[in-house]
Amino acid sequence: MDIDTVKRRAGPREFGPTDDMPREYREAATRMIQFHANSEIMGAYVERPFVRQAPSLDRKLAVSAQVQDEIGHGQLLYRAAENLGVKTREEMLDELAAGDGKFLNCFHYPLSDWYELPMIMFFVDGAAMRRQATLKRTSWEPYAHAMDKICFEEGFHIKHGEDILRELATGTRRDRERLQEAFEKWWPRILQFFGPTDDRSTHSDFSMAVGLKTMSNDDLRNAFLNAYLPKAEKYGLEIPEYPRVEYHTDEDYYEVYEEDLDWDEFFTVARNEFPMGKGQIAKRRRAEEAVEWVREAIEGETAAPAGTATAEGD
Amino acid sequence: MIWEVFRQERRKDYYVHAGNVHAPNRELAEQFAQVMHARRKPANSLWVVPRAEISEVDSDDERVAMGGSTQKEYRWATNYSTDETFAEEIADSQREQEAAEAERDRQATSGRSDASGGDS
Repeated sequence: MDIDTVKRRAGPREFGPTDDMPREYREAATRMIQFHANSEIMGAYVERPFVRQAPSLDRKLAVSAQVQDEIGHGQLLYRAAENLGVKTREEMLDELAAGDGKFLNCFHYPLSDWYELPMIMFFVDGAAMRRQATLKRTSWEPYAHAMDKICFEEGFHIKHGEDILRELATGTRRDRERLQEAFEKWWPRILQFFGPTDDRSTHSDFSMAVGLKTMSNDDLRNAFLNAYLPKAEKYGLEIPEYPRVEYHTDEDYYEVYEEDLDWDEFFTVARNEFPMGKGQIAKRRRAEEAVEWVREAIEGETAAPAGTATAEGD
Repeated sequence: MIWEVFRQERRKDYYVHAGNVHAPNRELAEQFAQVMHARRKPANSLWVVPRAEISEVDSDDERVAMGGSTQKEYRWATNYSTDETFAEEIADSQREQEAAEAERDRQATSGRSDASGGDS
């Protein structure tokens, strides 16, 4: 299939492994899904310390379930990406370990305490969910199928995140102060989640044209702020004066003042060169190395893999 | 030799198990599958798979507990009382979970009447 045909036919779940897709499409889809898969994995590592640090058994169970879900989402997405025939799952995991695999800005920052957890579990996961819901209509069918399952599970994550937020927001004065501090620390990073406004990225136009993406980052950011800014206010969080976010009633549009945000840091993060992010990458790599013996034990057992037998072999 | 047949009704649909056919080889299996399962019912595509290649895990099997044998309310959106309607995608997710939960409940109750207890 040539690029023009792809652009003409582009639509929800339009293309799958049986279609002969041009290299350009397969590479763009791989880049996008690999980024998404890496983000699921790195997000799980951000939340993981709170399996241990959870303040109650209920929270511990729910956080561990979430971490498990996120790792599962990563696995689903690596499969969807692998189907494109550009990279294997092993290659993508190796790139992540080597610091070459890219992932969402917010998952480059470790959380310092429980008060910061809802910043990830409610606001960042909420932003991700908003984006993921639009990807049920992506043109790469295996990606859309992965999204069906991810979106099914993700409702629990956001609601649990909001439950923690509510608990802290209705706690003692000290709880509320610490929650506000966490919010102020995270708010600029959350605003940067969808990248710079008026996305000038070269990848973006192509991904829209071939139906991989169905909504621009600007529209997603706006839809996110529409739903989540009132939530922050509802829980008594004070929106910091800077970075400025101004609502234009006439156009139902939130204007984020670019110049108030630290884009040097954002792009350093995006290149995997931010010290905290490097720490997160190294942490995951060490965890992967530490369980090498498990993989060896499992793979040693399957010397004669199932599924290779032919029909005649029966 | 038995071949299991999965039918996709329309493009973009998931493949759903339709039944099986007897056939001595792949070519005939594909042909029989079409005749048996794609002649009257709408079909866009079929997957035909040798049964021996399919691994089955059944909820009645020894040491199998589908969905686990412990209570896991904490895994469901419905367990948390915050309002899900502020974002369409969260509300959608919760509706899907409610449907799955109701189906599990339904199976658990109907299973109790015809079997020896079940796991629930």
